[in-house]
Amino acid sequence: MGISAAMEIGKNGLNIYRVATEVTAENIANVNTPGYSRQRVILETAPPTTVNGLPLGTGVKIAAVERYYDGLLQQQLVNAQTTQGYDTTKSSVLQQVEPTFNEISNDGLGAAITNFFGAWQDLTLNPAGSAERQAVLSRTQILTDNFKTVSTTLTDAVNTQNDSLVPMTDDINATLKNIAQLNGQIKITELVSGNANEIRDQRDQLIRDLSGKIGITYTENSDGTTDIKDADSGASLVTTATAGSFSLTTNATTGLYDVNITPPKGVTTLVTPETGQLGATLALRDTIIPGYLAKVDALANTIATQINAQHKLGFDQSGVAGKDFFTGTTAATISLNTAGITGTDKIAASGNTLLLGDNSNALTLAQLQGQKVMSGNTATFGSYFDSLVSTVGLDVQSAKNTEAQDIAFTKQLTTLRESNSGVSLDEELSNLIKYQRSYQASSKLITSATEMMDMVIAMIR
Amino acid sequence: MRITANITSDNALYNIQQGRAKLDKISEQTSSGKNVNRPSDDPINTRLLLDVGDKVKVTDQYTSNISKASTWQQIANTALTGMSDTMQLAKQQIATISNGSSDATVRQSAVSQLKALKQQMVDMGNTQMGDQYIFGGAMNTTAPFSATAPYYAGDESALNVEIANNTTQQMNIPGNQLLTADTAVSQPYGTTNILKAFDDLITAVGANDVTAIVAGSQALEAGAVQINNVQSDVASRVTRLDSMTKLNANNSNTLNNIYSNIQNADYAKLAVELSQQNTAFEASLSATAKISQLSLLDYL
Repeated sequence: MGISAAMEIGKNGLNIYRVATEVTAENIANVNTPGYSRQRVILETAPPTTVNGLPLGTGVKIAAVERYYDGLLQQQLVNAQTTQGYDTTKSSVLQQVEPTFNEISNDGLGAAITNFFGAWQDLTLNPAGSAERQAVLSRTQILTDNFKTVSTTLTDAVNTQNDSLVPMTDDINATLKNIAQLNGQIKITELVSGNANEIRDQRDQLIRDLSGKIGITYTENSDGTTDIKDADSGASLVTTATAGSFSLTTNATTGLYDVNITPPKGVTTLVTPETGQLGATLALRDTIIPGYLAKVDALANTIATQINAQHKLGFDQSGVAGKDFFTGTTAATISLNTAGITGTDKIAASGNTLLLGDNSNALTLAQLQGQKVMSGNTATFGSYFDSLVSTVGLDVQSAKNTEAQDIAFTKQLTTLRESNSGVSLDEELSNLIKYQRSYQASSKLITSATEMMDMVIAMIR
Repeated sequence: MRITANITSDNALYNIQQGRAKLDKISEQTSSGKNVNRPSDDPINTRLLLDVGDKVKVTDQYTSNISKASTWQQIANTALTGMSDTMQLAKQQIATISNGSSDATVRQSAVSQLKALKQQMVDMGNTQMGDQYIFGGAMNTTAPFSATAPYYAGDESALNVEIANNTTQQMNIPGNQLLTADTAVSQPYGTTNILKAFDDLITAVGANDVTAIVAGSQALEAGAVQINNVQSDVASRVTRLDSMTKLNANNSNTLNNIYSNIQNADYAKLAVELSQQNTAFEASLSATAKISQLSLLDYL
């Protein structure tokens, strides 16, 4: 042990504080990188030696460069992302559907139904009047147009959801591939040098992204890799460095896509995701929107059936029994029966084959408006539609509220993660000064040791 | 808890976004003047608003029905007043020769008077509203009355209109109940065939048959009463329609009030909220601007 030992310690210090400054620089540079976890240099004393029977240290050494990472937070973030992905998709699609049912201004399908029956009321006052008869036909046209518009909008929404599955599964597949690739890199890097902090950060960020799209479960392996499974079906999606994939096949019955998973080295199986964006898209496509459509169809069908039945009991202006007034059984197909109702004179307003000025059938038809014939004879046409509008409103409202809660929850978790893993510039700057001072001190050590060495050499001369 | 500059900026953004959303909501309510702008704003009140909206429309339809039915009654009443006056003239004419007259010119003049009056009755029986013959029952596209027996070619159907939910009002008076009541199935006003009475009288006066003249005069008397009965029926219908109009107007008024209470934005409340929200929003902007400036860098 001599002066050279002090010089050696100083040289070590210079090296180590240079590395510490580099880590700080890395932190500062990545202050805004999504998913980056701050790193720190873990310093410890170098092993001591014994000099003249006294143990003396040999300076400082770097034990590890660690990243701040909380596995529990990652787990919670993954779950929160899945819920948020589901609710956000549901909320935004429902908000697109809602305008179809925006009856607040009373000028949509609901108003068309009221006006349709109003035209029959007007006909009761002048059953033979051609203007009144024409009004009935015009109102019928408006009514069927409104039914078709609503039906088309809802069907389009279903198709849009179906089409969106293609880019969504492509995106998921790309993410799965990237995760598998990063897993491979982590494994190799850590076998060689034992530290792959940045790649781990990237992979963890990708896992969080993926969890927004589908519900996943994952396990962290001892070799640094992470295995991922689909939460709904339990199918494996990533096994160490191999990725599975999602694929779409067209269902022969519905004409819509079926979702399949091919696990790594596994057999393709049909799955029905229920969580994440993918789950929301399927729920909207298969349950929620078709549910609204079914109600509109039921309304169209009942109106057609009821009006047809009553219309056939009446007589037109030639004294001939009325024909079917409507054709079609759904909102998409309902229309005036142009084969039977060829002109205004075919409207069966009269209740008697001989009495052409009679209005009794028109009156009964008009009074159908107030009859409770929907929902097992508990609702009128108007109230049935009103409650449908209200149901859509409730769905949208609750979806919006859940989305807002999810966002707040995720934000809370993100803040916690940021608090633990985020880079604080103030902290890095003070670290920088700390390391800079230490670097200065180490170099001073070398200067002092050099002077001492000079003195020793001078003594020899 | 360790706080980084990014946490502060994320929080600030989140809160500014929330503040903006609230401001936007207030702005939408203020500019549209409505509390509920889409079903999801308030699904329960949406249900109520739609229900009230439907009811208002239906009530408007009833009001329109009543107004048309009232016009019908006024036209009927005008015709009935004319008939009543004509009957009065006929009775006066008969009174002058109730004991018969040996003077053929007097009789001839009376006969032609009676013929003219009868024709008036027939004409008034063929009164039209638009292209509808109002006394024709359901066969109201052709003139129901003619001067020769059987006089009436219409039918006896009642034409009903809906004036309130499931409440109908008969709008017409079938012509046979009015002028040829002996052939009517239902005889609510009387049983006299007025047109036949005229014809009988014309024959009786022409033949100077005193007994028949007296009988005819009595028939005319009964006919006049019959027409008066119809007039009072029409008057009672007008009263009913008037009261239904008022009822509907009240209904409509109440419904509109309910609608306004739910739907119309309270500007005073919105103005206060806007000013509160504005202050809060400005404060958060200003605080964000100041805090984001702070950094250790400025002091090193």
